[in-house]
Amino acid sequence: MKGLPEDYLHYPARRRGMDHEIYPFRALPQTKRITWPNDARIALCIAVHMGHFPLDMPLKPFIAPGGMERPYPSYWDYTLRDYGNRIGVYRLMKSLAARSLPATALLSAVLARRYPVLMDDLAAAHWEIACAGFDMGRLHHSNVPLDEERATVQEATALLRSRFGASVRGWHSPAHSESGHTLRLVAEAGYSFTTGWANDDMPYVMTTDAGRLICMPLSQDLSDQRMLHQQHLPTEDFTSAILAAHDTLDREAEAAGSGRILVVPITPWLMGVPHRIRAFNTMLDGIIARGNIWPATMGQIADHWRAQNPN
Amino acid sequence: MLSEPGHYDYMPWRRRPRITWPNGARIAFWVAPNIEHYELNPPPNARRMPWTRPQPDVLGYSWRDYGNRVGFWRMADVMSRHGVRGSVSLNVAVCAHYPEIIEHCCKLGWELFSHGTYNTRYFYGMNEDQQRAVIRENRETIKRASGQELDGWLTPAISNDETTQHILAEEGIKYTLDMLHDDQPTPITVRNGHLISIPYSLEINDVPLLVMRNTPPERFAAICKAQFDQLYEEGAESGTVMCMPLHPFLIGQPHRISALDDVLRHVLAHDKVWLATGREIAAWYTEHHLAEAQSWIGAGTP
Repeated sequence: MKGLPEDYLHYPARRRGMDHEIYPFRALPQTKRITWPNDARIALCIAVHMGHFPLDMPLKPFIAPGGMERPYPSYWDYTLRDYGNRIGVYRLMKSLAARSLPATALLSAVLARRYPVLMDDLAAAHWEIACAGFDMGRLHHSNVPLDEERATVQEATALLRSRFGASVRGWHSPAHSESGHTLRLVAEAGYSFTTGWANDDMPYVMTTDAGRLICMPLSQDLSDQRMLHQQHLPTEDFTSAILAAHDTLDREAEAAGSGRILVVPITPWLMGVPHRIRAFNTMLDGIIARGNIWPATMGQIADHWRAQNPN
Repeated sequence: MLSEPGHYDYMPWRRRPRITWPNGARIAFWVAPNIEHYELNPPPNARRMPWTRPQPDVLGYSWRDYGNRVGFWRMADVMSRHGVRGSVSLNVAVCAHYPEIIEHCCKLGWELFSHGTYNTRYFYGMNEDQQRAVIRENRETIKRASGQELDGWLTPAISNDETTQHILAEEGIKYTLDMLHDDQPTPITVRNGHLISIPYSLEINDVPLLVMRNTPPERFAAICKAQFDQLYEEGAESGTVMCMPLHPFLIGQPHRISALDDVLRHVLAHDKVWLATGREIAAWYTEHHLAEAQSWIGAGTP
């Protein structure tokens, strides 16, 4: 038997720390102590995935959660996602406004062109706008030519900055997917933070050829897209999981004497439907009742972290 | 390929023109039993295979067949005990196969609308003439079997093609259920004629919930009640619609039927509910609210 090529058993990146140069390893106990405003133990960030899913989106190399899973033309998938951007998000805005909670929208840039009225309402609600790529059909992955990916980042950025200006400082790649170039292109486009690498509870610095980015936590494991859409779990399993995460992080913050961050990743076409919105409200009330929270946008949390971690 | 259906305009869920339902109801509640026949030996379709196993798929076939032999009768009893009429999403071939079922629906005063001829004959890939022929034949068959006009449409398995909504409007269909973009009726843009959308549901539909999401009956009932409670509350501001789509082969199983009873009892315990049919909702909306919605859209949804 011929076996595998000889270099299959060579390990060129086998060394202490990461097998790449993007960021160094950092164990949670080594994170620098951080304080939040009013000595809050938990910075609370509501991250709202607001995607646009084109009816003719490519199905390769994979379908983003919520994508067109049924035969073309899938009105089923298209109209249920679109429901989120016309109905569900307004329910979420109402729930959050009633509790004076800010939010960060991870927004498909094409929505600025499609639904300008929605942009006005997001601005009036003081939601932070972060760019989640052009739309959910234009995924970032290694088969996309560099020039094409750069054009996508620039087009998406221009669309959102022409409406919201320099306040668009955060990037999230659609479906948490990136090529090897994405971070550099994002830094090149002037973003100060990115979110989507699901590897930490606390921010850390990523280094690219075009400058540095703060990587902000954003769970996929604990998200409504994974738990409710992909795993088909009941709504209450998601809301209890968020409260359990809050419980753990709050106790850790107290024990470590250092702030923690609770990111709540939600999606209007999931949490904004009538049969889920009350469970969402109950969950928010549970978080608030625990106390010692600093409700903030992702950008505000990044700024506070940066001020205390200047290097 | 189209990048979007292109049949409806953006209508944000705030400051919409107020919808009022008859007798001051906050919510139009309608039940849509899907009375279907899945063929034992259907022809293949390039975009979708009718059965997951090689034909004959005895398990898949007999599971659906249970709906017509057993589930329908049980479901119809529960509904009539609560005085709730059905608006039947009908595979029109059922008129030929099981006239007993059609007769029973008519006796209960239920509406019949078309869900195509068979649930195993998809619209994917049909040309316009073929789609038109199916709609016309369905209209005639429903008229002959029940004396009813054909006003509503749900494409079998939501397999509509790009042109289906245009043809529906040209053939005089008044309301379509192929789009799930709203909790209220909305205008639909078509090349000729008139069409509106009224809310169907894939969120509290028994197929996605019970089959795809593995929901136990008690939780199914809780989800339907939560859906109702929210839409009932919001209906105080502007009338909402809740559709409860059913499939007799699922909801009519002995271990699940009490969930339907539970949901209907909950709904009927509220006083501002309009127990309507699809046709009644479509007619009311078209007469009283369609023009206002169109002018609000025209004004940029202020």
